[in-house]
Amino acid sequence: MSDVLGEVVSILIEVVGEDFLLDTEITPDTTFSDDLALESIEMVALAEKLQERYGERVNFVSFIGDMDLDEIMDMTVGKLAGYVEAQTAGTR
Amino acid sequence: MTEIFANGVRFHVQRLAPPGPAAAPPVVVFIHGLVMDNLSSFYYTLAGPTVSAGAHAILYDLRGHGRSERTAGGYSTRDGVTDLCALLDVLGVTEPVYLAGNSYGGLVAARMAVLAPDRVAGLVLIEASCAGPGAATWFEEMTNTLTVAALGLEFDRVQDRLRATGQRKIARLARNADALLNGTSLIDDLAAERPLDETELAAIGCPVLGVYGAHSELAEAAGVLRRHVRDCRVEVLPGLAHTVLREATGTLRDIVTGWLPRREATR
Repeated sequence: MSDVLGEVVSILIEVVGEDFLLDTEITPDTTFSDDLALESIEMVALAEKLQERYGERVNFVSFIGDMDLDEIMDMTVGKLAGYVEAQTAGTR
Repeated sequence: MTEIFANGVRFHVQRLAPPGPAAAPPVVVFIHGLVMDNLSSFYYTLAGPTVSAGAHAILYDLRGHGRSERTAGGYSTRDGVTDLCALLDVLGVTEPVYLAGNSYGGLVAARMAVLAPDRVAGLVLIEASCAGPGAATWFEEMTNTLTVAALGLEFDRVQDRLRATGQRKIARLARNADALLNGTSLIDDLAAERPLDETELAAIGCPVLGVYGAHSELAEAAGVLRRHVRDCRVEVLPGLAHTVLREATGTLRDIVTGWLPRREATR
């Protein structure tokens, strides 16, 4: 698991708390909505914490700018982690 | 999570700043709809494009919704106005703001334009019927629908059955809806809600943009706005009903960003 993926997972646990599926193995292909049952408002909180962790360049609203709602809801952990990695390349 | 305490309540708030320096960007506050809704419906749709167009966006979960505190009472549109004014005070926003409200959120927005006109620069009402007999009927239908839902949640234990079948996300949504509908005054407050009267509507001096689906049961609200609001633009979108925000996001984005005032970036 990459550093960023691991960080995304730990922030997920922080956001969702005890409801989070601790027994689910999270891979880059795991989806936030279907696999992790993440609510859309929890995704907002996750995005905020990622920005706090990685800085202004990790801008979720900008990232989802060209996506439709279904695409946002179908997002995988790997896609988000990939975006964070790309935005922070050279700074981590 | 950004928590703001205002009017004695803990609110979940998200602020999005426009890219680059801008001289006094307009502030747009997004107000979502009832019960199953929260700030994410605007966060995923209009907030980003509005910010890209140069505005500062403020999104918040109404009390009892999303990640804001669920209080026992205080769910009238007047309470909503008091909450929002207090929230803006805490955020230090003193200039008049644009309010974009979807469905019930539009009622809070319109009520604020009446009760606190100095704080409102403009209104975007998306599928919200604020005045006239159509509005009264809509309030009644919402009350009836929520009452039926509340009974179902209380007596059928929908959330327990959903949880048992592994549908934990929906079960969680149902549990929150149960707590809101059966554990607060929301339905009673909605039942006591009265539409704006024509005089109040006519007294709204700020520009108003109304957007409705042609097949919506609220489509007649478009005519009410045209008849009574002085500075008004109304768009009726063909082929759509109440779910304009979700189903016509791109069209709505173009209408709203084209309607908001432009602010040039500073050099």
